[in-house]
Amino acid sequence: MKADTLRWGGAHIVFIAVLLALGEWLTVNRWLDPTFVGQPSGVIKFLWDNIATGKLWTDLGWTMAGTLISFALGSTAALAVGLLFVAFPKVEKFLDPYLNAMNVMPRIALAPLFILWFGLGLGSKIAVGCSLTFFIVLSSTVAGIRGVSQDHLTLCKTLGASPVTTFFQVTLPGAVPVIFSGLRLGLIYAMLGVIGAEIIASEKGLGQSLAYLGSTFEVNGVMALLLVLALLGVAVVRTMTWLEKRLLHWQ
Amino acid sequence: MSATSLAIAADGVHLSFDGTNQVLSDVTLHVRQGEFVSLVGPSGCGKTTLLNLAAGLVAHTGKGSLTVGGQAPRQGNPQVGYMLARDSLMPWKTALGNAMFGMEVRGVPRAQAEERARAMLQEVGLAGFENALPKALSHGMRQRVALARTFAMGSPLLLMDEPFGALDAQTKLQLEDLLLRLCQQYKQSVLFVTHDLSEAVAVSDRVVVMTSRPGRIVADIPIDLPRPRSIRELQKDPHFHELYAQLWSHLESGWSKHEG
Repeated sequence: MKADTLRWGGAHIVFIAVLLALGEWLTVNRWLDPTFVGQPSGVIKFLWDNIATGKLWTDLGWTMAGTLISFALGSTAALAVGLLFVAFPKVEKFLDPYLNAMNVMPRIALAPLFILWFGLGLGSKIAVGCSLTFFIVLSSTVAGIRGVSQDHLTLCKTLGASPVTTFFQVTLPGAVPVIFSGLRLGLIYAMLGVIGAEIIASEKGLGQSLAYLGSTFEVNGVMALLLVLALLGVAVVRTMTWLEKRLLHWQ
Repeated sequence: MSATSLAIAADGVHLSFDGTNQVLSDVTLHVRQGEFVSLVGPSGCGKTTLLNLAAGLVAHTGKGSLTVGGQAPRQGNPQVGYMLARDSLMPWKTALGNAMFGMEVRGVPRAQAEERARAMLQEVGLAGFENALPKALSHGMRQRVALARTFAMGSPLLLMDEPFGALDAQTKLQLEDLLLRLCQQYKQSVLFVTHDLSEAVAVSDRVVVMTSRPGRIVADIPIDLPRPRSIRELQKDPHFHELYAQLWSHLESGWSKHEG
């Protein structure tokens, strides 16, 4: 098992090294124009310099803070509203068309408005992130609770379980897998919202740097930040998977 | 016989859904205390509906009277235990947690429920599996846990809706043997819905044959096989096979009437 892991890891390192060498070779010989695609050595240098000056950490910190706060606020609100909908289906029925309209609207279009309302700081980023997270977690909360096994509910009925007992013993644990998949997507979308809003207008953050570097033709910098974003995404998904395994070990 | 000495007393029960679709027609069925009665019949003959009426899951809106332990049927009656076709174990609870669930909901103190659940798991042959999650158990083992959960509550009347319907043939025979043993020991009344005629003959004191559209009773056959029984011995008993053949002919006559 361990030898196998090492072998796969080794294969990936060799693959990446070959890819970087190829890129470097193609750009040094001008078969590819580094003005548009960057150059591996330049990307590495950019990362090195920005880690040294601390600029990268500041940006990463801003983006992460925005993402996590959006996720926390958006998903808490969504869980609360989801429970309300399940408890009072009429409320859901009434609000459904409005929520649908908001849900199908490309939420990033709200960014200019939110920037106007909440300024160039974290507030506007959190607002956009929340607006994305909220609907995803809301629909998974409602679907999760509605999808709870009818057999389990029948059993509770025949046992004479109170609504509170049924909810905490059966409905909630039964809904967690679906809710969790919503939370996982919600976190990824929170990041999307925050980066999007940063690209449009921001003081700091990875998205802001990305927009600045792009507009000044710093392609090495753009590539470096895209790499950072990809790694950040992988880290987010890995964390959620780890959490899911701990929470849902019974699956 | 007075109504209170009966576990279930259904007299001339009619039931229709949506006012027109008649599900049960003039069903009269008495289950005595300690008696094991099976309901057999084709799909849609109303046997599960009758069971759900007794469990209070379906409201009795038609003519006739129905009492369970002398009272109108209601959900959550502690006198009644209900078991479904699928195991309906909570996948997030261990075998022990599932076996305790019914008692916990009905307010049995935790320590007492745990003690009783452990004893019941041992009785159904699952000693050593207390901490296993359902995903780690076979279908048969899961249904054993469900049996433990049902019997642990100690309700004097059990309503069982094809509890072994989803099992393979061999596992089914093992669980029928287990059910025979548990019933011999606890002596509660059982109303048992099944598709399987040999199962019905093996476990019951009486088999009631129903037919569909509308659901009604066409035969009520006493199963005079001595107890304690074992599935293995029954297979060798010619009378067992006679009763089986008798049930078949009743079912078949129900079909031919229906077709004609």
